[in-house]
Amino acid sequence: MVYTQRSIWPLVIGVIMVGYAYLVQAGMLAPLIKFLNTGRYVGEMVTLGYAFGGVAVVVGLWQLLAPPKEGHADYYLSTVAGVMFIMLVAFIVKWGLDPLMGKWGSAAAPALGFNFARILNLNYVVMGIIAGIIVVNVFKVPQWAENGVRLSRLGLKTGVILLGALYSFAELQQLGKLSVVMIGVFVLGSVWLVLIIGVRRNLPNSMTGVMSSGIGVCGVSASVAAAPVVQAKSLEIAYTIGTVLLFGVVCMFLFPIIGKMFGMGYVQFGAWAGTGILNSAQVAGAALAFQPGGIETLKVAEIFNITRVLFLPIIVLWLAVWYVRREQAAQRTVQRVNAMQVIVSKFPLFVLGFILMFLLSSTGIFAPARHYQGAYFDNSEKALMRTDRSGKKVDNHLKAEDVATLQKELDKLKREDQKSAVQRLVQNRKIMSEADDAMVRGVINAKAFSKEGTAVLTKAHRAVRHTAAKISKFRSLIAWFFTFGLVGLGMQITMASIRQAGGAPLVLGSIVGVIKAVGSLIVVLLLVAETI
Amino acid sequence: MEEKFDRGSALTIFPSDRHEDLVALALALIIAALVYFLV
Repeated sequence: MVYTQRSIWPLVIGVIMVGYAYLVQAGMLAPLIKFLNTGRYVGEMVTLGYAFGGVAVVVGLWQLLAPPKEGHADYYLSTVAGVMFIMLVAFIVKWGLDPLMGKWGSAAAPALGFNFARILNLNYVVMGIIAGIIVVNVFKVPQWAENGVRLSRLGLKTGVILLGALYSFAELQQLGKLSVVMIGVFVLGSVWLVLIIGVRRNLPNSMTGVMSSGIGVCGVSASVAAAPVVQAKSLEIAYTIGTVLLFGVVCMFLFPIIGKMFGMGYVQFGAWAGTGILNSAQVAGAALAFQPGGIETLKVAEIFNITRVLFLPIIVLWLAVWYVRREQAAQRTVQRVNAMQVIVSKFPLFVLGFILMFLLSSTGIFAPARHYQGAYFDNSEKALMRTDRSGKKVDNHLKAEDVATLQKELDKLKREDQKSAVQRLVQNRKIMSEADDAMVRGVINAKAFSKEGTAVLTKAHRAVRHTAAKISKFRSLIAWFFTFGLVGLGMQITMASIRQAGGAPLVLGSIVGVIKAVGSLIVVLLLVAETI
Repeated sequence: MEEKFDRGSALTIFPSDRHEDLVALALALIIAALVYFLV
């Protein structure tokens, strides 16, 4: 089979991307960028436009001029067109539709009485997925792009592995404890609930087994991993995957809206989405839809998601024992399956990749090992002398007038430890230690000083807190990998795959899925603090 | 979509999930190396 479809479109897409990057770089689109308030994206518009556009032009030309021949080169290079198609949709949505929808939402608010873009959470992540769903179900994915759309899951997995680089030991320790407890309760609880209800409703043991893994652990891959030990038939796996997909799509759009209604913070929402949503890709979709401008929620949600996948071996062993007992009780012959072999062959390796990346990062190669969310303390003379955007050297030590402001306000402090920290700052014109920095932040948060005094403290604090450049780069790369993966994911949500869900499995899956989502929402709201 | 491709599945171009995971891992390590050396 030859996969390359000769079409002018990959070349056209490439020319559009390169042309757009050039127009942005030359400043010709400045009025539009100002109108849409997308100035912060100018750097990536130019870099990504040239990079993806250049590749699309070269591959587009090659596909037009060279007759395709069956083989590996044809198979893998034919994916480039689909990747460019997804990226074009992502660019249009992120740099055009998203800011435009924000403007329309604000403009219509006086007439409607509410901002529809905010209430419906219409940001680039949600619109990207919807655009993908519309493309595949209304217009159909163009034939020349079909092979490349199958790379979207690779994009999501690569994003998850790279995400490992962003955690520090402190974060992982705090989030890890919370996630193990919550996931332990809800994963094991929902597996148990599906098994109980499935038996009561007289569903086949194989159907109940595979459904319990899909609903309890992580959707599609868990269903596939559990299928051999409960000897599930293809139709039962399809039913489970259909149910998980249908439920997950609904959750992906509803969770962020509900999260905002309850005023949830990043940690709370990440914990809820990572526990309550069944499919890994949809967890990422909901987290990014909740916080499209940053990846803090995604980081929390992925820790929960990964903890859930780590429970997979336990669930597979449990189901193996449960299935054999049930079948033997019904006096049916059971074909023995080696559960350990199933675990080894089916365990998602990208989870181990995430852990590997975290271990690599914790050696301090991307940011000082003690960084917290990419920021770290450094008060060395070199760090305090920075270069501004115009290339001028800026000395970030406190000036004489700053010191005078602080000296005047020092007596306002009642706590001796805070007073000593600020005194050391006054003497040295810079914050002297991480502990002193924490004290200074305490004074800032308590608003103990006047506006001017607080401004000086904030300046001193910012002078010693640095964001690791490599971590910042990882953040933007990861956001793009997820955007690519989620737009492509939308293009794979066909009505045919959702129609696979139905009958008793759908009822069972929905009941337990809703119990899990509502239960975890209540636990998160009552017990999870936002201060982790 | 399934019958359209004689390699991979409807969701991926790779022969198995394990292959896809390994490629994702290799890609992530290459990107990490580029970030390490270039940024």
